[in-house]
Parts: sequence; C-alpha cells; structure tokens
Amino acid sequence: MPRYLTQFFIRFGLIAFTLLSLGPVVWSVVTSLLPLSALTSKPPDLNPLNMTLENYSLVLDSSRGLFSGLINSLIIATFTAAVGLVIGSMAAYALARLNMPGSNKILMMILATQMFPGIVIAIPLFLVMSRTRLVDTHFGLIIVYLSFILPIVIWILKGFFESVPMELERAAAVDGASPIQTFRYIVLPISLPPLFATGVFAFIEAWNEFFFAIILTRINVKTASIAIAEFSGQYQTLYGQMLASAVLASIPVVALAIIFRRFILEGFAEGAIKA
Amino acid sequence: MGEGSNSPLPLGEGLGVRASTLMQTSNNYNRNRYRLGIWFTAPAVIVLLIVLAYPIIASLVLSFLKVRFGGDGLTFAWHGITNYSELFTNQLFREALFRSAYFTVLEVAAVIFLALSVALMLNHPLGRSAFYRVVLLVPWALSPVANAVLWKWIYNANYGILNQSLIGLGIIQENIIWLGTPWLALNMILIADVWKAVPFIALLMLAGLQNIPSYLYKAARLDGANAWQQFVHVTLPGLKTTLVISVVLQSIWALKVFDLIYVLTKGSPADSTVLLNYLSWRETFSNLDVGYGAAIANILFILMFMLALVYIRALRPRQTTQRDG
Repeated sequence: MPRYLTQFFIRFGLIAFTLLSLGPVVWSVVTSLLPLSALTSKPPDLNPLNMTLENYSLVLDSSRGLFSGLINSLIIATFTAAVGLVIGSMAAYALARLNMPGSNKILMMILATQMFPGIVIAIPLFLVMSRTRLVDTHFGLIIVYLSFILPIVIWILKGFFESVPMELERAAAVDGASPIQTFRYIVLPISLPPLFATGVFAFIEAWNEFFFAIILTRINVKTASIAIAEFSGQYQTLYGQMLASAVLASIPVVALAIIFRRFILEGFAEGAIKA
Repeated sequence: MGEGSNSPLPLGEGLGVRASTLMQTSNNYNRNRYRLGIWFTAPAVIVLLIVLAYPIIASLVLSFLKVRFGGDGLTFAWHGITNYSELFTNQLFREALFRSAYFTVLEVAAVIFLALSVALMLNHPLGRSAFYRVVLLVPWALSPVANAVLWKWIYNANYGILNQSLIGLGIIQENIIWLGTPWLALNMILIADVWKAVPFIALLMLAGLQNIPSYLYKAARLDGANAWQQFVHVTLPGLKTTLVISVVLQSIWALKVFDLIYVLTKGSPADSTVLLNYLSWRETFSNLDVGYGAAIANILFILMFMLALVYIRALRPRQTTQRDG
C-alpha cells in the first residue's frame, strides 16, 4: 500500500475515533444545557441562544438528593483513597523490600482477589452489616471499597518501591536508621508523586462505584451514582436534568483523569501487563 | 522478588568497623526488617480477610442454605444442593447463562479488535499527540452510571439522537424502540459497554506496543517484510502477553456488567437482558432468595476464577524473562 494511502487511512481512523469517543460526551453536555422544549422538538432545537444552566440549578436543589450524593461520594472516595494509601503503602513496602517470605504468593493472591465478582462478597457482607448496623453508613461502604482498592494500591506501589535505589536504603542503614525510619524519612518522601497519583486512581474508582453502593446504602449515604440512577428512573422524561446530573457527577473524575494522564498512561497501564 | 531485595544488606564492607559487631548489627537490622514487614502487612491482610476471605467462604455456605426474612429477622435452614439443582432446571438461569456467554464473547471480541486498532493508530507517528490520549481517557474516567444515563438518552425512542439521525439520513422510516425489543435491547447494551471498555484495553495495548523493541521492526524491514508481515511477525508475537491479559480482564468485566442493565432496562423486556450478575442480584435483593442468589454468584465466581488463573499464568513467564534481561 502506498505511503499516502496508509496516511490517509490513519488520519481517517483518528478522526472517526475522536468523533465516536467525544461525540456522546459532547452531546450529553449540550443536552444538559438545553431546556426540555428544545430537546423534544423535532429535530432538536440546538440554537445556542436557548442554552441555560437551569437544569443544573434544578438538579442541585436539596430536595433532589444529588447534592448530598456528591458530598457522600466525596467523603467516601476521599477516605477510601486515604486509608487505602496508608495501609496499602505499608504492605507494598513490606512485600517489595522487607524480605517477607512468600511475598510472591501473597501478591498473586492479591491479584486474584481483583477478579472476584462483587456479588459473591456482597451477599454475606450485606447480612453481616445489617446485623452490625453498618448498612447505610459511610464507614461500612469505605471498608467494603477497600476490598477492591487495597489490592490495586499494593500492586502499583510495590512496583514503585522496587524501583527506589537499594543504595539509598543501605546508606540510611549505615547511618543508623531503623527500617521504619528508612521507610518514613527516605522511601516515602521520594515516592510522593506515585503515592499521590495512586491515591487519585483509588479516588476515581471509589467515586465511580455503583454495585456495592446500591446494595449497602438506603437513605443516609446514597452516593452520587445512586442519586443519578434513581433520578433516571423516577424522572426519566426530564432529559436535560437527567444529563445535567450525569455531567455533574462525571466532572471531578474526568478532570482528575486528564490532569493525571501521564501517570495513568505510563504507570498504571504498564503495571497491569507486568508482574 | 528482585535480586537485590532478597539478599541481606552487605553492611560494613570497607567501612573499617570490627567484623563481629557488624554481623550482629546486620542480623539485628534484618530481624527488625522482618518484624516490621509483619507489622506492615498485617493491617492490609486483616482488612482483606474481613471483606474478602470471610464473605467468600460465607457465600459458599449460604448457597447450601434456605434463608428466610421473617418478622424476627433472618432464619437459616439447611437446604443441601437444592439451590444448585434448582438452578440447572430453571429456564431463566439457563437463558441468563447463555446470554452471558453470548454477551461476553461478542463484547470481548469487539473490544479487543477496536482497542487494538485504536492502539495501533495512537502508536503511529500521526497519532502520537497528547490530544488523542485525552480523548482516550474521557470515556474511561466517566462514571459508569453517567455512561448508562448517557446511552439511555441516545437510545430514547422518541427524542433520542440515534433515531433522529437515522431518520434524518433516511436509513429508517420510523422510530425504533431500541431498548424495548428482546434481542435488540441486549445488543444495544453491548454497544454501550464496548464504548466504555475500549479505552482502557487500548491503553494496555499501547503500553504493550511501546514495549516492543524498535530494532525488531528494523530487522524485519531489512529482511524485506512489508507492513502486514511486520504486523504478523513482530507486532502480534510481541503483544501476545498483553493480548491474553486483555482478553481475560475484559471477559471478567463483561461477566460483571450491572450498571448498564440496571439503568437501561432493569432486565426487561421479558427478562431478555437479564445476565448472570444481574440475576444473582435480583434473586437476592429483590426476591430475597438469598441462598439461591448466592448459588448463582458462586457459579459466576467459578467462571471468573478460572479466567483469573489464566491471567496469572500469562504474567508468569514474562516475569522470568524480564528479570533476566
């Protein structure tokens, strides 16, 4: 195939890829800015002069549950990421550097835990948590979210800790630092960027979670995902508002993903195909 | 484990300190490290035991029980393998199993094909710009429920953009009820799921492509290989591990699909979009047949566990070759 033809096909493919990826997203943003009358006329009235933020102010009204859902998601995702980072970084460091016997097997088990269907653990957890009154609490959901966040955190951070030069730790040991001091004052400070990025990743995953949230929440700690799903069932003809709430819940995670794209592209994708 | 991390610290070499004290410090140091290692892994292991190991065992036990929600709370009665034998005579379960298999195979095939195409384009000099990386990340980061709502609107029979464009282009004459027709609804869910899943797999493949050493392509070109031959003899073998991992991960995720069904159809029309994961959830939390729901969950678990074993196998050989290199 001549070179210009190859180039033509690739350019064409890239345009198709861009349109197909962004088209639905752009369309939902446009929808969220239009009043219902514009959306239900045929063809839809896309006059930009009609655009309004009314849908947004309506869905953020406190009676709708979306605002409290966003707050709940923020609390739960932040704590899940924070606790996951603290516990996970310690475990990752131990597995990477502290001569734990059988650490390879532990790692493989952690990886396998990623592959369990949520429903298997959701049923017994629901029964236990109903008895201990943990259903519909922030704490309950955070603990459950750690089940899928911790393995990811450990897996990613173990890779980073292994790349910390051994000489640094030896030098610290020669200077009389105990292992815990080495971790606290040498390893952690130079691992701050990956730690932060892993935290962001954990935040996105916890923010987006839906399956456990629908089982383990009732009224008090409904997350944003639950609020949107309920909204799309109850008010399914209020298209603009439906999309406005979906856009609102997606803005934080999409923004985080774009800001931290380097890490996600290089660090995380590579981690999944390498042990 | 890396080589350096397992060997004891060679402390004191050439430091001019007496050997006996050195040995002792070194031993103490290593013992401290070992002890710290236990303390450091303990919290994570305890949390994982509580939220993973215990429920998995409990789920197995539950599937042999008949659980009832009564006025005085839950009652448990031994039910033997009845939950399982009921499963395999149940029409809906068999249909859901078949539909899950159909959905998974088709979804994985579509995702792998599209993701590979996208990754190849983004790895080409024309596609290297950061803009396309951002384009790739947007559908991936989108909250799954937002994704479901977005497709619900696109598929809307009266005002959805899909019907409007197809009518506008003259391809169809009247509105199609995308989510109200049995097989069609499942396939529309499949399309929405593929759209959401392609970016991440494309990311994995992009990482895989970038790990193929460029001298292999140079050598192939020197031997007179054309673009297609380079793809078949260099790219595909180089991507083998990545492809296996992508297929396994995507199969697991396809078997787990839930959000889309919940928002788009709730299993309708006529239960034609009920897949295994959704069925298990519905039996447990709507029909309150906990033991039966757990039995379905365990079938799903076994299917996924077998896939997980393949993933771990796929990672292993690579590990040794990389450590040598």
